[in-house]
This record gives sequence, C-alpha cells and structure tokens, in this order.
Amino acid sequence: MKQKKRMTLLGKQSAAGWAFLTPATILIAIMAFWPMIQAFIMSLQTGSSANMTWADPLFNNYTRMFQDKLFLRSVGNTFFYLIIQVPIMLILAILLAQLLNNQHLRFKGVFRTCVFLPCATALVSYALIFKSLFATDGLVNAVLVNLGILESNYNFLGNSASAKAVIIIALIWRWTGYNMVFYLAGLQNIEYSVYEAAKIDGANGWKTFWRITVPLLKPTIIMTFIMSINGTLQLFDESVNLTNGGPANSTITMSHYIFNNSFGSGGVSNFGYATAMSFFVFVIVAVLAFINMKVGDTRD
Amino acid sequence: MKKRVLSVLLAGVMAFSLAACGGGGDDSSTEGGEAAASGDENTLTVFAWDPAFNIPAIQAAADDYKENVDPDFNLEIIEQAQSGDIETAITTAASAGDYSNLPDIVLFQDHYIQRYISDYPDAWVPLGDIDINWDDFAAEKLDYSTVDGEHYGVPVDGGTVICAYRTDLLAEAGYTIDDLTGCTWDEFMEIGKAVYDATGKALLCMNSDGNDLPYIMMQAEGVSQFKDGKPYITENETLITIVEKLVQMAKDGTLLMPNSWSDYTDKAIQGDQVAGVMNGNWIIPTIEKVEANSGKWEITTMPTLEGGEGYASNGGASLYITANCKNVDLAKEFLAYTFGGSTVTYDNALKNGGVVSTYIPAGETEVYQEGVEYFNNQPIYADIAEMGSHVQTIEQSDYHYSARNYVGAAIVNIINGADTMEALKEAEDQLNFEMGN
Repeated sequence: MKQKKRMTLLGKQSAAGWAFLTPATILIAIMAFWPMIQAFIMSLQTGSSANMTWADPLFNNYTRMFQDKLFLRSVGNTFFYLIIQVPIMLILAILLAQLLNNQHLRFKGVFRTCVFLPCATALVSYALIFKSLFATDGLVNAVLVNLGILESNYNFLGNSASAKAVIIIALIWRWTGYNMVFYLAGLQNIEYSVYEAAKIDGANGWKTFWRITVPLLKPTIIMTFIMSINGTLQLFDESVNLTNGGPANSTITMSHYIFNNSFGSGGVSNFGYATAMSFFVFVIVAVLAFINMKVGDTRD
Repeated sequence: MKKRVLSVLLAGVMAFSLAACGGGGDDSSTEGGEAAASGDENTLTVFAWDPAFNIPAIQAAADDYKENVDPDFNLEIIEQAQSGDIETAITTAASAGDYSNLPDIVLFQDHYIQRYISDYPDAWVPLGDIDINWDDFAAEKLDYSTVDGEHYGVPVDGGTVICAYRTDLLAEAGYTIDDLTGCTWDEFMEIGKAVYDATGKALLCMNSDGNDLPYIMMQAEGVSQFKDGKPYITENETLITIVEKLVQMAKDGTLLMPNSWSDYTDKAIQGDQVAGVMNGNWIIPTIEKVEANSGKWEITTMPTLEGGEGYASNGGASLYITANCKNVDLAKEFLAYTFGGSTVTYDNALKNGGVVSTYIPAGETEVYQEGVEYFNNQPIYADIAEMGSHVQTIEQSDYHYSARNYVGAAIVNIINGADTMEALKEAEDQLNFEMGN
C-alpha cells in the first residue's frame, strides 16, 4: 500500500493513460490488424478456399494482376472517377461552404440541411434512385426529350461514356455536402477579424479567398482530399448497383472486381487473388495519402 | 469514490464485451444450430429459395413421402432469399472447414454445381447406391450433377428452353407460329423484321449484362464454349456465326437489350415490349403476369442455323446432400422415392409451383397433358417435358458462367462498334487467363 502511494504523479498519469488505451488497442489488434495479417498470408496462397496452398512463385497473385486486363481496366476506371470527380466535388464543396458561411445569409440552417441531406441517404438506395432516374424511360430522359434537347430516349446506362458520367454525377451529388460540412467547420474557425483586417488593407473578395481562406483551410482541404481519394478508390456500391459494372465491364471499379473474384457469380471464390488485389489497393491508397501529406506539409 | 466505482463498471463492461468477442466463435455453432442439420432421426432440413416455385415443389415431395412412406417424416424447408445465399453458405462453411451450419440437403443451381464440387469436394455426399433409375431422366440434366461418373444430385426442375411467341402479333405481320417452328435463324430474322415493322415489338430479348441467348443458341446446335477443357471461342465457327446474328438482330431492332435482368423481366416482358421470349421454362410465370395477353401466347422449339427444331436448356436446379447430413440413409430414401421417381410429387410440384420436371415418365401423367389457358390451351408442360428429352449434352466446365460472361460482354462491345474477332479474342484471352491456361 505504501509503495503505491509513493507512485509519482507522472507515473500515475501514465498508468491511467495505458489503462485507457489498452482495451481499444487490444480490440483494434484483434479486429483490424489480425485479419490484415491473415489476409496477407491468404494473398500468397491459391486454390479453392477450402484447401489453399502456397502460390508458386510465392508472389504469383501479385504479378498475375498486372497481366489481368480486366483488373487493369478496373484500375483505369477507378482513377478516371478519381481524377474527374474529386476536384469537381471539392471545389463545389468549398464554394458552397463559402456561400453558406456568409454572415448576412438568411435561412442558413435550411440551406445547409439541404446540401447535407444526400449524405443521409444510404448508398444502395441512392444508387438505385439514380438508376431509375437515368433509365431509358426514366425522368431525365422524359425531361430532356420534352425540352427538345434529345430527339429520342437515350440509354444512359447502356453506353460506356454516359454510364461513367452518370456514376460521377451520382458521386458528386452524394458527397459534396459531406465535404462542405468540413469546410464550414474550418471556415468558422477562421477569426472574422482576419477578414476585417484584409478588408481594411483593401483586399477584394477573390484575393481574400486565395490569400486567407485557402491557406487557413489547408489542413481541412488536405484531410478532405485524403478522405475523398480513399473513398473513391474503394468505390463499390455505385458500380454494383447503378451499372453492375456494365456495359461489358466498362464501368467496373477495383472493389467491384475484387468482390466478383470472391463472391461473384458462377461460384468463383478466388480468395487468394482477391486479397492480393485488395493489398494492391491498400498500397495505392497509402502512397497517395503520403504524397498528399508531403505536398500539404507547410513545415520547412 | 464515485469515480472509482464508475471506472470499475466501465472496465467491467469492456472486459465483458471482449469476452463476448472471444467467445463468439464457440457460440455460433449452437446459435446457428437452428439452420443446421437436425438431430431428430425423422426430420430433414433443406435450403431452397423461391416460395412461388421450388419451395412448393419440395413441399409436395415432403407431403408425398409423409403420406405414402413414413407418417412420422418431417421436412423442414428453410427459405433463403436467393440462390446466391446457398452458394455463399457453402463457400463460407467449406472455407472454415465447419459444416455445422449447413442443412441436410440444399437445392443448388445446375450451372454452378460443378465448380462447387471441384472446389469443395468435402462439402457433398455422393449418392452412390441410391435407388434411382437414372435412365428415366433427361441425359442433359444429369450431366450437370454427375462428376467423374458419380451422381451427386437429384433433379428437381429442368431449364428446358421454350420459345414463346405472341400469335396475335405474328398474325399482324402475316405469320403463324408454324413459320417459326424448325426455321433457320435467317428466316427468324426476316420474320423478326416484319413483326417489328408491323407492331414495333421485338421478337427476341436479352438483358445486356446477360448471356443467356448465345449459350442456348449454341446448345441447340450441340456446340459448347469449351473443347477438351479449353475455351473454344475464336476458332468456333458456330459461336462466331451466332454472335454475328445476335449483333445483326440488335441493330435491326428485333433483339431488344434492356440494361439489367430486372429490366428484362419487369420492363421488357411485363411491360409488353416483346412479341417473343426465349429462355428456360422458368420464365413462364413472368410471362403469365400480363393477364391481358392470356390466350395470345404459344410455345414452340428453337430455330437453328441450318433449320430444324432446336432444343436447349438454361438453368434449373437439383437437390444435393451436404456433408453435415446426419441421416444420409433417410435423405437418400426420401430423394429416391420423391424426385427420384414419384409422379405424385411431380404432379403436385407442377400444380403448386409450376415446376416442370426432367423425369421423363412424369410428362405422361394427366396433369401434364392438360391445356394451359394462358397459352391458348396448348398442353405446354407435356410439350416442355418432351422437348427436355431431346436436349443434347455438351461439354461442361467449372468455368461455365465465366465463359458466358465474357462472351456476353463481347457481344455488347461488338454492338457498340468493336471488331467481332478482336472482341471475341479478348473474351477468349480473359477466360484463358482466369482458368490459368
């Protein structure tokens, strides 16, 4: 008892810290890291999942994917979505946040709710709604034909280019509000006096935006970038539910292809190959996030 | 003091939740026990998926066995949302090496079973000396459930392909169903154009992410997508000709290609956009949903490239005994008595579920000979049973659906402007790649 009482304040604090950390650490280790190790081991194996054997050569699953045209196409598609969708979405989000942060705007709450509302929609349901909107006899076609923009109904989801466009539009609709909320929070952390000072110095709105808002929002922008890249690289629901990868696999994403290789139709259960591809996605995400953080690093 | 109590409580909750995580694995076998094989010696459990189709058929078999063999017999049918759930159940059970969550018997899709038997041989029980005269079944049907000469499954429903046509629309274009019976595909395409011009409806339909038509058209020719275990695509003249015909029909507007399966059933067929439907006979209930067209449909056989009646099969399922079955003898007796040779079972399966058997003697019963009002009082079930006996056996493969998917994708690419041979080459390469050739 006496011994314990002699524990220093620092020691006590650190013991408490460890006590609080331990349960979460153990849980994460069991629930996240252990499956990851298992998955890595599995990615070096091949054969039916009931009787997996070591691949020969050991990294065969990893070299194999670079000869798999369909996988390379899925990588291409995913990056296509990434490169087009992420910048459009983030610029829209920052503009909307700027607008909705205006001190003199009325009914701010209503607008903010409206922009954020798509995020409350489940992924599958919104994908299905877009599917019916863009169906050959859907609302979009009806509107465009009646306005005279289209002559006859166009099969948006039956054509590779328009199907990709629909996926991107759907993604922008779903995720812009989500990112806007981060920017709004970031904007509210910027002291109004900074803007006032700029105004007094004679900066116009454009300059204020570039010289004050963007630099001060930088951490938020980097965070949304990483999250968006991460999210887009793991794109799954839209590819499955909106287009089912079609037409002819031209809109399939990496995650969708991985899924097809593990639980897809026709009794394909190529878990070894599927986990190897998952690790490839993991590496890409890690590399991109690392580059992003380096680029955004303001320390010298 | 209060804080200390709180922290102890919190720690306790965490410890408990951890214990729950750790213990989860042990509990699942007992929790899932409901779905697992029953220990009771008179009870069998079975997984099936369609409450309007195969579940009434299996129920009919259970009632038949109970009434005529063993009054104590009890069959528990556990409904699954879709056939894919049963495939996933087998995959997960076999991957874990723990079959205790499986029922005694599963209903399994024919086109998938070969891959599952070769991937997970321990999940199944071969039927061995079961008391069934296999000659009574359509040879093509048994071809799926037989691996290395060993029977694994007892057939339930057949996938015999029907060509259903709207006789009233054909008449508008100046044709009858007889013109479409035993015709060549070229004649079919001519009639298709005439029907399209006269009525604006397509004579043929396939979902664009699907692949049913090329497969069944090839089967009607007696040609497979595989030869000696290798993909047989770019050198397969029959396949190339069929693909070209399908592409031409899509361009003519005589082949309607909706985007997905649900568009195919709900919009194309039930939305009354087609004058003909060509698929496994399980498509009949979908056609019958448009009550206004009752009496206007009739069915016949498939066209072929050289003319003459074509026969094919697409889909269908059989019952398989799993490794978790505790009472294999009872399961075998039950299957042998009912789906192995009881016309009572098959008659009720047809009446209650619309399941058409591949058991040849079943087609001779009165129930099968009755005319169906929706199909202009044609005795379609007897006709289908008859057609089923003519379907040719073609080479099967574990990669059946992969091959179909790649060929289907190639057709869409060709319609969108790709070169025929290049698209087919890509399909063949991809298939070879997947098979590890």
